[in-house]
Amino acid sequence: MKKLVSTAALAAVLGAPAWAADDVTLQLKWVTQAQFAGYYVALDQGFYEEEDLNVKILAGGPDIAPGQVLAGGGADVMIDWLPSALAAREKGLPIVNIAQPFKTSGLMLTCWKDTGITGPQDFRGKTIGVWFFGNEYPFLSWMSQEGIPTDGGENGVTVLKQGFNVDPLLQRQADCISTMTYNEFGQVLDAGVSTDELVTFKYEDVGVATLEDGLYVLESNLADADFADRMVRFVRASMKGWKWAEEHPEDAAMIVLDNDDTGAQTEAHQVRMMGEIAKLTAGSNGALDEADYNRTVQTLLAGGSDPVITAEPVGAWTHAITDAALN
Amino acid sequence: MILVVAAVAVWIGAWAFNGWLANGRLSGLASVRLAVPLIFGATVIVVWELIVRGLQVPPVILPPPSTIVGAFFGNFGILWPDFVQTFAKGALGGYVIGCGSALLTAILVDRYDFLRRGLLPVGNFMAALPIVGTAPILVMWFGFDWQSKAAVVVVMVFFPMLVNTVAGLRDTSAMQRDLMRTYGASYWQTLFKLRFPAALPFIFNGLKIATTLALIGAIVAEFFGSPTRGLGFRISTSVGTLALDMVWAVIVVAALTGTAFYGAVAWLERRMTFWHPSQRK
Repeated sequence: MKKLVSTAALAAVLGAPAWAADDVTLQLKWVTQAQFAGYYVALDQGFYEEEDLNVKILAGGPDIAPGQVLAGGGADVMIDWLPSALAAREKGLPIVNIAQPFKTSGLMLTCWKDTGITGPQDFRGKTIGVWFFGNEYPFLSWMSQEGIPTDGGENGVTVLKQGFNVDPLLQRQADCISTMTYNEFGQVLDAGVSTDELVTFKYEDVGVATLEDGLYVLESNLADADFADRMVRFVRASMKGWKWAEEHPEDAAMIVLDNDDTGAQTEAHQVRMMGEIAKLTAGSNGALDEADYNRTVQTLLAGGSDPVITAEPVGAWTHAITDAALN
Repeated sequence: MILVVAAVAVWIGAWAFNGWLANGRLSGLASVRLAVPLIFGATVIVVWELIVRGLQVPPVILPPPSTIVGAFFGNFGILWPDFVQTFAKGALGGYVIGCGSALLTAILVDRYDFLRRGLLPVGNFMAALPIVGTAPILVMWFGFDWQSKAAVVVVMVFFPMLVNTVAGLRDTSAMQRDLMRTYGASYWQTLFKLRFPAALPFIFNGLKIATTLALIGAIVAEFFGSPTRGLGFRISTSVGTLALDMVWAVIVVAALTGTAFYGAVAWLERRMTFWHPSQRK
């Protein structure tokens, strides 16, 4: 009995520092991979601990909508792409961008060269694989601006709901597929296709790029001073993690691999991914650049008959957190 | 808060009324027998609406029935092509091919005993394959369009239909088979005039099971690759855009379709197997 009481007291005393740390739950946009290296690095290198935060990282995946997890209270902060977040905001989910670690877009459309596609107008009459679940907006916006209908036929594009692999291209079920510079494009090359058999359109080069991975929270939570303070510390430590990852890409890839519960990721793939991700985060200190934001909004509003958002969003982002975190 | 109190009041009131209807002196009337489940269904929907609005549940978690009905009627132009793609092409196509081939296989299996011992375990294995595993493979083999969905339905529907038909073909007594023998009937005459009609209750059992499996198979298979139409596609992408009212509207379509499909087969069963004890009142 005495041993039990003293052990319990010891556990309580030793556990006290952990209780004193604030909890934060982060919902990732996809499965554990180097796309989210900054957060895993911050966890592994103790940056979150330095800020007195106890961070839990929830992996995403197919059929997990981060916005829904956030709305249900399953997470405090989530990663999402700006088009998807603005559309969700219009749908009645009041989320706000508090940080933007990714400066440039890695989204591309990769086509077989032998389809004869040389420019966007050649997409007419072709079959194109597009991801959904929030990733379809940049493509729909682009087609709307080009004036190409997306419901099939000779004059429009036939859209295929692409799964998260590159088989539709390899099996010739689609003429083009959506790829990320850091993931699927590498998978196509790994399958034995050489770059001169492909024609690639980078959304950045075509001028229809939209902002990608950013941190989003619920507006109602942001009003709470304690929550805002936790977010300030979280963003500060996360950006520290991102800059560390940019400088040590191989180590960052290994940290991501260590944290991968599924065991599905490989070292070579993650190291390549980290190298490409570093190009996307370079140039951002975490604060949302208003010019980039406006460019994304204009791209989405220019969607002609089927715009992704119908009105200019108000209050969709804030500098309050990043101002406090980075100064 | 008032709405929540109203929800509780409606629930208790409707329960009491329904209980009185079902157990009281009016319980014999056909109209009352129809009214009791309808009142229960209506009560669930009213309580749902009041509670979701009263507790201010976010619409991305659970939308109230009024918005779902709005989404259903508002998006009819989208839902109808989706229905045609998933049900008319995918589910029905696979249903007809699957049940048809199962029927033919069952006749073969019944004729040759060694096939029965060999094919039934293989069929069992095929039926046990999880469709979340087979669907992506079949999409790769048969393409993105309705053919791969029909293929998934065939795999799901084949074994239950086969087992039921084989059991039905064996369900004739020695006396009946001997009678056909005394009439000098050939194998095929015995098959079509005695054993097939006797097997009909079992065949319809298999057909009814297959209706639910067909719809499930077609919808789930669409999660793994589809053109931009189909009930499964609509559910999956609407969840992604947080349009939960659309998700529920698609669920309503699927529920109505499944009920109607099952009901149609059950009605056909009642017409064709009126002689069977299970069909007598």
